Amino acid sequence: MSKGLKIVVLVKQVPDIEKVRFDYEKGRLDRSSAEAVINPFDLNALEAAAQIKEKIGGVVTVVSMGPEQAEDALRDALARGADEAVLLSDLRFAGADTLATSYTLSCAVRKLGAFDLIVCGEKTIDGDTAQVGPEVAEFLGIPHVAYVNEILDVSIAEITVKSRLDKDNYVVKMCFPGLITVTKDANVPRLPTLKDKLRSRKAEIAIWGVGDLTSLDEKQFFGLQGSPTWVARVFAPTSGKKKGQIVEGTPEEKARKVAEILIKLGASQ
Amino acid sequence: MNVSEDALAQELVSIVGKEWVVTEREYMLSYLQDETPEPVRPKAASNLILVKPISTSEVSEILKTANQARVPVFPVGGRTGLVGACVPTEPGVILSLERMKRLEIDRDNLMVVAEAGATLGDLLRACDEAGLFFPPHPGDEGAQVGGLIATNAGGVRAVKYGVMRNYVKGAEVVLATGEVLNLGGKLIKDNAGYNLLHLVIGSEGTLCVITKATIRLHPKSEHSVTVVVPFNGRHEALQAVQKILLSGVVPLAIEYVEPDEINLSAAHLNEKWPVQAGRAQLLIILNAESEEELLVACEKLSAACSEIGAGEPVLAETREEQDKVLRIRSNIYTALKPQLVDILDVTVPPSNLGDLMDAVERIAAKHGVHLPVYGHAGDGNLHVHVMKEEGKASDYVAKVKKEIYEAGVRLGGVITGEHGVGAIRTQELTTATDEKELSLMRGIKRLFDPNNILNPGKVIT
Ligand SMILES: Cc1cc2nc3c(=O)[nH]c(=O)nc-3n(C[C@H](O)[C@H](O)[C@H](O)COP(=O)(O)OP(=O)(O)OC[C@H]3O[C@@H](n4cnc5c(N)ncnc54)[C@H](O)[C@@H]3O)c2cc1C
Ligand SMILES: Cc1cc2nc3c(=O)[nH]c(=O)nc-3n(C[C@H](O)[C@H](O)[C@H](O)COP(=O)(O)OP(=O)(O)OC[C@H]3O[C@@H](n4cnc5c(N)ncnc54)[C@H](O)[C@@H]3O)c2cc1C
Repeated sequence: MSKGLKIVVLVKQVPDIEKVRFDYEKGRLDRSSAEAVINPFDLNALEAAAQIKEKIGGVVTVVSMGPEQAEDALRDALARGADEAVLLSDLRFAGADTLATSYTLSCAVRKLGAFDLIVCGEKTIDGDTAQVGPEVAEFLGIPHVAYVNEILDVSIAEITVKSRLDKDNYVVKMCFPGLITVTKDANVPRLPTLKDKLRSRKAEIAIWGVGDLTSLDEKQFFGLQGSPTWVARVFAPTSGKKKGQIVEGTPEEKARKVAEILIKLGASQ
Repeated sequence: MNVSEDALAQELVSIVGKEWVVTEREYMLSYLQDETPEPVRPKAASNLILVKPISTSEVSEILKTANQARVPVFPVGGRTGLVGACVPTEPGVILSLERMKRLEIDRDNLMVVAEAGATLGDLLRACDEAGLFFPPHPGDEGAQVGGLIATNAGGVRAVKYGVMRNYVKGAEVVLATGEVLNLGGKLIKDNAGYNLLHLVIGSEGTLCVITKATIRLHPKSEHSVTVVVPFNGRHEALQAVQKILLSGVVPLAIEYVEPDEINLSAAHLNEKWPVQAGRAQLLIILNAESEEELLVACEKLSAACSEIGAGEPVLAETREEQDKVLRIRSNIYTALKPQLVDILDVTVPPSNLGDLMDAVERIAAKHGVHLPVYGHAGDGNLHVHVMKEEGKASDYVAKVKKEIYEAGVRLGGVITGEHGVGAIRTQELTTATDEKELSLMRGIKRLFDPNNILNPGKVIT
């Protein structure tokens, strides 16, 4: 293996949120109304990978699942620090929910061979679930750290990051191979140089379909077929307030009371 | 004033209605100043009445009344000017057209008919929605159409398409007597006599009140890119400007910036400037019909710059990235403002900009002061900033300004290329202008405004 780290960045092409219109009749985004761009959080993922590569050396491969046009997003990624790109495009990938998306992406990562680190955006601006990164890690059986807002240290074997969950920051050290998802605070994405932009336009982009990823008898895991999610209705949840409760007494009493409360709430037996 | 303030207010109420006449000072504070840096900003007079008409006929009535009573009238726009041009420096009437802001886009003729009170922001949005483009962008989008025309504003996108003068095809104006004139029209050609329209453009509220204008637009080009090119030194960056223009690439904008000021502006906005390399940088905006065409222009431009040892150009392509770069550039002024004494806009033939820069360096060294510079390099227009030294503005200010103006004029330039004369440069205009030319200007002013009621004390004194 070459010196340095093998880094995979997952990027999704999304409609430019500044320009996209909402189709109220159909209840969804009218994707044809705006040009497509790289999901903004994935620019932070790319930047994180580019900075790690600059420090340790290695190769950055970008992977995207999407229609043919997603090739533009990959070229843009090549201009912004990636070395190689793979597009997963096949009619049989269409209609994927997060499970099928993650499954497909994980198959592609496996096919790429040994890797050290996968970097994802925290979430996308159109789907907004923040599930794909962690799900990919589960499919691959590797550890992950989500919501990384600072990379504190990185070496050939491990990475130390700061991750923000709710109000608290956690410092986590993870051995490779592993996956991180990064937030907007992780870095400021660079602009491409003219040289890289011109190079990216000529670069070859591999296009893989279902047949490239697995034996066909597993094709039921891809696309619509592999998507158990069923969208019944889309609505904005009302924000329920969290209710705090202070439990007093000796440590034993407190433990008993907390257990009782949890049992009452049905959260424990 | 031949009339009591109360009687005048009564007359104005009878023209525009009670709601639109303000006599209490505390409700007109924002109309008493513009964006001129505080140390040089003129003071507003007392005994002022603010009036906000809704129509040209109301404007006409107001001027008629004021002219009869010999009351000064100060037309104001968005009060974003930088030379105190709209500050009411004598007791009188402040005339704001902010309620007159209708915009009518005429796609067939590629023109918009805009009332004077529409803001630059309104205009840009309306054009964008109609798939059209209004190129001039003089920094602050709160400026109004009337103000843009009265100051012949320029801004960052003047290299390819020019300044306001190149856009205004017609105007409805009200004279001091209240008479209404329609100058020009939706015409591409107009040689019918002396061109009064162009006399009005840039007249800073001293000749007439502009109530409506016909403004030419361009089709929106599908593709644009903002390129930042780093250079080792000031001279290299400025030399590159000529090389770029000679290469056949015609950018919308060629802006000159230096890392200290642009980083200060970025920090002020909580952003990060994308290029740290170089002692001087050019920010270049290009537009074209296709991405191919844009990239060909970028390659040409890059080749021209690399002849003088430029660093690798960086591209902002998405709308968001380009807006961010322009926003940071546009806010240098705001970021410097707390320490600013005056912003100059001396303009020389573009090829003399390097010499002007040298002169500025010499003047800074001679007086031991810091003079941050940036500017519209493609237009030969340099913004030199005279700053407070140790928190104070003292004797050096007048000397430094005088020497910079002199250097500009010596290099074949003018003391102001965009902000105008206003209240704070009347003396300098007199010094820098031929006596005969000045007397013709005074004669024109008298013809338009015999009783000197329109923005008295500004431009020509
Ligand atoms: C029943 C159902 C049907 C759907 N059908 C379609 C459809 O036909 N077409 C369609 O476009 N969407 C479809 N979606 C939406 C689709 O499931 C999500 O867009 C996708 O799973 C990604 O989820 P997300 O956008 O929430 O990503 P998040 O989980 O918020 O993304 C996190 C990170 O994962 C990575 N990532 C996410 N998606 C991709 C990708 N595609 N390629 C590479 N990296 C990625 C990026 O790094 C991203 O920052 C469907 C959803 C459901 C529930
Ligand atoms: C951050 C910043 C950046 C700037 N950048 C540039 C730049 O790049 N290029 C540039 O050219 N300028 C620039 N300016 C200056 C300013 O924006 C322009 O001069 C602008 O055109 C002034 O318009 P306004 O509506 O604010 O006019 P005001 O300041 O209100 O008035 C300016 C003059 O116009 C007259 N006037 C206003 N309305 C009328 C009317 N209806 N009829 C007759 N006279 C009228 C006033 O009497 C006054 O003399 C900048 C200002 C700021 C604050």
